[in-house]
Amino acid sequence: MTALSESGLRRLWHGLPWALALLVYFTGGGYLGLGTHALVMILFALSLDLALGQAGIITMGHAAFFGIGAYAAGIFASHLSADPLLGLAAATLAASLFGLLSGAFILHTAGVTLMMLTLAVSALLAEFANQAHGLTGGDDGLQLGRMAPLLGLFGFDLWGKTAYLYALAVLFLWSLAAWRIMRSPFGRSLDGIRQNPRRMRAIGTPVWRRLVVAYGLSAAMAGSAGALEAQTTRSVGLGALSVLTSGTVLVMLVLGGTRRSYGAFLGATVYVVVQDFAAEIDPFRWMFVIGLLLMAVVLIFENGLTGLGDAARRALAGLPRRSGRP
Amino acid sequence: MIDATILLDGLAYGMVLFIISVGLTVTMGLMRVVNLAHGAFAMIGGYVAAMLVGAGVSFFAAAGLATLLVGMIGAVAELAVYRPLYRKGELAQALMTFGLTFVVIASLTSGFGTGIKTLPLPAALGGVVDIGFRTYPAYRLFLVAVGLGLALLLWLLIDRSAYGARLRAAVDNPRMARAVGIDVNLLFTVTFAGGCALAAFGGVIGAALLPLEPFYALRYLVLFLVVVGVGGIGNFKGSFLAAILLGVIDTGGKYLMPQAAAYLFYGAVLALLLLRPNGLMPAKSAT
Amino acid sequence: MKQAWAALCAAGLIFGLVGAASAETVKVGVIATFSGPFARWGEQFQQAIKVYQKQHGTTVDGNTIEVIYRDDGGPDPARAKQLAEELILREKVQFLGGFVFTPNALAVADIVTEAKMPTVIFNAATAVVTRKSPYFVRTSQTIPQVTVPIAQWAARNGIKRVVTAVSDYAPGFDAEAYFVKTFQAAGGEVLESIRIPLATTDFSPFYERVLQEKPDALFIFGPGGPPTVGMINTWASRLKPAGIRLLCTAETQEIDLPKIGPAALGVVSSFHYTETVDNPLNKALWADLTAMFGKNTVPDLASAGAYDGMELIYRAVAKFGPRATGDQAIGLWRGMAFDSPRGPIEIDEKTRDIIENVYLRKVEEREGKLVNINFQTIPMVRDPWKDEHPE
Repeated sequence: MTALSESGLRRLWHGLPWALALLVYFTGGGYLGLGTHALVMILFALSLDLALGQAGIITMGHAAFFGIGAYAAGIFASHLSADPLLGLAAATLAASLFGLLSGAFILHTAGVTLMMLTLAVSALLAEFANQAHGLTGGDDGLQLGRMAPLLGLFGFDLWGKTAYLYALAVLFLWSLAAWRIMRSPFGRSLDGIRQNPRRMRAIGTPVWRRLVVAYGLSAAMAGSAGALEAQTTRSVGLGALSVLTSGTVLVMLVLGGTRRSYGAFLGATVYVVVQDFAAEIDPFRWMFVIGLLLMAVVLIFENGLTGLGDAARRALAGLPRRSGRP
Repeated sequence: MIDATILLDGLAYGMVLFIISVGLTVTMGLMRVVNLAHGAFAMIGGYVAAMLVGAGVSFFAAAGLATLLVGMIGAVAELAVYRPLYRKGELAQALMTFGLTFVVIASLTSGFGTGIKTLPLPAALGGVVDIGFRTYPAYRLFLVAVGLGLALLLWLLIDRSAYGARLRAAVDNPRMARAVGIDVNLLFTVTFAGGCALAAFGGVIGAALLPLEPFYALRYLVLFLVVVGVGGIGNFKGSFLAAILLGVIDTGGKYLMPQAAAYLFYGAVLALLLLRPNGLMPAKSAT
Repeated sequence: MKQAWAALCAAGLIFGLVGAASAETVKVGVIATFSGPFARWGEQFQQAIKVYQKQHGTTVDGNTIEVIYRDDGGPDPARAKQLAEELILREKVQFLGGFVFTPNALAVADIVTEAKMPTVIFNAATAVVTRKSPYFVRTSQTIPQVTVPIAQWAARNGIKRVVTAVSDYAPGFDAEAYFVKTFQAAGGEVLESIRIPLATTDFSPFYERVLQEKPDALFIFGPGGPPTVGMINTWASRLKPAGIRLLCTAETQEIDLPKIGPAALGVVSSFHYTETVDNPLNKALWADLTAMFGKNTVPDLASAGAYDGMELIYRAVAKFGPRATGDQAIGLWRGMAFDSPRGPIEIDEKTRDIIENVYLRKVEEREGKLVNINFQTIPMVRDPWKDEHPE
């Protein structure tokens, strides 16, 4: 294989998911709501990939940031302005601030302790949202009024077309940013911290500060995802902050594969689609299908479903086996 | 005297947490498997016992049989599902055991429906006992006694027996352990089965406080994880202390200031972990 | 689009009037909880709907009524909204039904209004729900509607001092507010109002607190399922011996009673559906449920809500044919009165909410089974919240 054709192939490969996403827009019909939800979950999983995949911050409480983003967008829309972009910005900011703040406290720890701390923080936050009835609606949830047209031009329609493109655009921008971050010197140092924090500390890397920044960035992305979910469905519930949501996004990411360009894309999409179809066929037992899928993926593939792509590519191109990150 | 009652209540609640979580300390702490299916094993134990009691077996016999059976299921699971996982990362382990939990939940739902599965207490535990200043539910006294007994038994087994020494050696340095003739694979299978059996035992005798239903496996999993994390990974004495401390804080707080009750449990977890990041009693081999 | 829609409806109407409409399939989308900790709700809905369809057939004037189920997995407004969109746009359903949880019902209000989709709430019991869309009707109850009678009964029957303990979430707050208000207005004294966190598994510390206050009775409101069982069992072991009575609404519901066991004996509650109500519809519902789904199946409030919801939908199709519009259906349902397994009910002409009997009942043992037995009927109770908060 020549270098040119390989880079061409790779460019094609990178265009594929986005082309598919656009195809769904034109052919999706009644599935656009599901599609928008999938895009939101992709962004959420991508945010987790930055914290967990890249920086090695094992968290079981990432729903905290998703939930803050969702509630911030909801509260912003009900009290301040119906403009979706302003709401998105406010939500992203709120989540990232909370990420920086809580990260500063808990990122001195690692491993299981960190996992439990993230869990405790998100559990306390969920309880606060339940109690602060006046602000969040508590268990009744928060309903957003009609959003103002996007950029003053594109109104949100019943069919969810605008919502879908809006989510797709935000996802595209964030994944470009994530791409850049992960390949920057900062991203590489996170990679080093994940693999050997002691060595990185020894060579003078400010480990804690890097981790806090990474956590804040990841929180910002998760907050954007939460805001998109709130704005496109015009409602927020306490579930957005729940442990189950944290667990689900973790499963989505690991299912797709961590630190892979399209791991979050594949994992979240497969999970959302399989859940929807399994639940349609037998609403009582979709958990069985999902459970078997998760087990099969671990036993068969090396790093989530993207491992399948690797195997296929190797078989097709006869490329040597690659190790670690792409 | 009300303080003594609250203390006793907290102790009993803490003991249930300890009995179920200690199995997780063994599998997750000692063997280093992220075992999110722990709650599922506890739940299976409870369901098996409930079926046996329904068929006329006495409560205590049912508890014993269920513990034994889940231990055997655990051994099979170790060979079939967990062994291939030891070398994969903790994320793969989390995914796999989460999947296993889903499958167990779905299976129990199709077998028994979505409601609560009742496991009635025997008459001997159903009543109240006079403890001097008041009458107190016998069941809770039984929990405290069993928890203390189990803690003692585990201390003898892990800290004082040849088995314990071998296990600690195999965990710290499997290659060295093999070299000195320890059958590490067998040791791991037995230990994992033991962890599952403990879960099942806790699931059965704690069923009156943590009622059995298909979602049990996820509903209380976080509780068990927290006890292990706060106690210090791989140290069952830490789990014992953590379970009792959290049980008493949670119960006492709910009594004294119910308006703050919702924040108490996780507030305590947060505080304890920030003060003691390696757990109350960090394992010696942990760095 | 609107014109095309109107034309379509007009065409449907004409066909209906001529009576020559060819047989069609009317799709009914049911959004409810079929998985997770609250899956029993979906199960009860589905079984009651199947019983209704067995009793009344799956066709109305040759038009097949097809019920499509979708799982919202619990209180998840975003998912409920997405499912409603899919059912309306992709499946082209004619009616929506279900909704266990208030946030899920509130989340679909906008899209239901935009699509003019006649929607029957089978449960979601927060009073305000039916205000949120003119296309909502409700066949369950509201929390104030069933809470006020127990407070009145307590005040009239020698109970002077009460502690309330409710689960710490919105429905619990509603129950607490209406119990306290009603009980105090009737001259009773509320010593303390405790809110119990939802994740609580051990209720003893709260009850020890209650014990110290020495009230005549404890009023509770729980979220259903395991916590409720714990609430009642702990009362039986700690407070019942001290002579403190237990008052509640949905907590002794028939489906949980066998799980609570003898502890529940003597508990007094007020509720809109009692499994032992003596009327032919209820007997048939119970008989068919056990015949189709096993002898342990018991009808409950979810069964009644879904069963009566189907009655509304069948009546709309019978009257307007397979292309009934939202406005036609809602117009028909407003003020409609009919017999339900729970007794006579009526859809309020103004509020679209249900008017129904509320029963005071006591848990007793009959033929070796624990059941609620009615001892007093308060006929045709309206939702007090709506009378206090006029539009």
